[in-house]
Amino acid sequence: MSNLNELSITEASTKLAGGEITAVQLAEACLTEIKKRNKTLNAYLEVFDDVLEQAKKADALRQAQGKSAHPLLGIPLAIKDNMLIEGRTASAASKILENYVATYDATAIKKLKEAGAVFLGRTNMDEFALGGSTENSAFGVTKNPHDDSRVAGGTSGGSAAAVAAHMALGALGSDTGGSVRNPASFCGVVGLKPTYGAVSRSGLIAAVSSFDQIGPITKTIGDAELLFNTIRGKDALDSTSIDTNQYPARIQKKVIGIVRELNATREMFDVEGIGQKYKKAIFSLREKGYEIKTIDLPSLAPALAAYYIINFAEVSSNLSRFDGVRYGLSIKGENLFDDYAKSRGEGFGPETRRRIMLGTYVLSAGYYDAYYSKATAARAQLRKEFEEVFESVDVILTPTMPTPAWLIGEKSDPLSAYLADAFTVPANLTGNPAISIPVGTVDGLPVGIQLTAAHGDEQALFSVGHALE
Amino acid sequence: MISKEEVLQLAELARLKLDESEVAGLQKDISNILEYVGQVSKVEAGTTKEVPMNNTVMREDLPAGTALGEREELLRAFPKREGDYNVVRKIIQKDE
Repeated sequence: MSNLNELSITEASTKLAGGEITAVQLAEACLTEIKKRNKTLNAYLEVFDDVLEQAKKADALRQAQGKSAHPLLGIPLAIKDNMLIEGRTASAASKILENYVATYDATAIKKLKEAGAVFLGRTNMDEFALGGSTENSAFGVTKNPHDDSRVAGGTSGGSAAAVAAHMALGALGSDTGGSVRNPASFCGVVGLKPTYGAVSRSGLIAAVSSFDQIGPITKTIGDAELLFNTIRGKDALDSTSIDTNQYPARIQKKVIGIVRELNATREMFDVEGIGQKYKKAIFSLREKGYEIKTIDLPSLAPALAAYYIINFAEVSSNLSRFDGVRYGLSIKGENLFDDYAKSRGEGFGPETRRRIMLGTYVLSAGYYDAYYSKATAARAQLRKEFEEVFESVDVILTPTMPTPAWLIGEKSDPLSAYLADAFTVPANLTGNPAISIPVGTVDGLPVGIQLTAAHGDEQALFSVGHALE
Repeated sequence: MISKEEVLQLAELARLKLDESEVAGLQKDISNILEYVGQVSKVEAGTTKEVPMNNTVMREDLPAGTALGEREELLRAFPKREGDYNVVRKIIQKDE
């Protein structure tokens, strides 16, 4: 038998239920791997010191619960550093929150605790989930398990690297513009961004509130489905959360949409061999009886620009709460203004500061109409186009990323890093669910294919995903 | 290209203290990014009715939280604490 840490959640769950293995053995296997690889990869910012105790409790609980035990009971998971776990540090990989200790559980965490999952530690990310490579962490970059000269992707880079390197059986990430799907693609694992509102964000440190969504990063689609079903649901503590039946149930048409506008940008990924993977995915779905339909999404053209304007705007307002007065890094200056400016200037990293300033710019009087209101108009138009497209297709198929993982430091120009998000941001603008599924390697590096479905139709992602897996 | 003064003005509005050495880089980066996102100017505003993705939801007005335990944890996060108080700088200062 392979090492226990290499099992999928579903496999481990079956073995736990059958009494073949214990939660302690599973946790020990992950901890051993972490000891071996985390120093190089920097996927975990902290490995909790009570992992084995948590696992022992899970084993005891299984004795008591028997067959009624939740499938996640005793499963060791990694948690992104922007989700609150009571009594533990949650820093969002920022110096400003370096010593912040959570006073309550995020709702998604609470649900995992109720299921009996074991938390291994908190994983590295781009500071405040702003980036796409985990290079913006205040605590060093996370390296790609497949090639440690390359990034793991981001912003949930630590979570994806932990799962890909078998330092956890699964993980939670959060996705603002691709932050679950991008590192999943770069690390060769599955990453799901659920429908906006499907998972409560109570206790998730906010980046862009109209985009943010918590999602699972796993080794298989079945595992993603299991985690998603455990953490989803309406929550009184997040007024944007939705019931599972918010959107009407859909009947599968067995039709896949491919985007005509992508042809224009084909050179973006053809050179990298990603185009071949994309074509191969289309071909294999056709073989399996799916109809392929070319669709038009003219509003994809301004989508990335609109995404970033809204991102900057919401980041600048969301991060205004960090002022060093009630919690977090607090540096005394010459006067009150200085206290704020110094705490924020030293507490936030360069990319975070840049986005706060850009947000301040696009929201200021005189520029608001030229940027923010145009961006929200583009967003509304794109959402309408998506809704129309999903009248005739189950999912839209695109690559997840235009390239495989890039070299650490390769994209030092911020705009060039933003451009890599072209395929992932539309689902955040429109609130649709999307998943990245590994489809092999290009030049030895993993790449993912992205599926996007109608609101509330994660089932279509899993079903078409299985056909691709 | 936005000016050095504009960068400093933005930093002031955003309550950020910048290093002198950062300003030139920010001038370039912010200008490039604004030029790129400026392509939204071609979008015709108001062609699609903006439907809010969620409605305002009111919660029941009920007490929540675990009063005392949580309170102590919140107090512990204060940068400067005296008893159960958060020590902050005097906001109203004498005119000079």
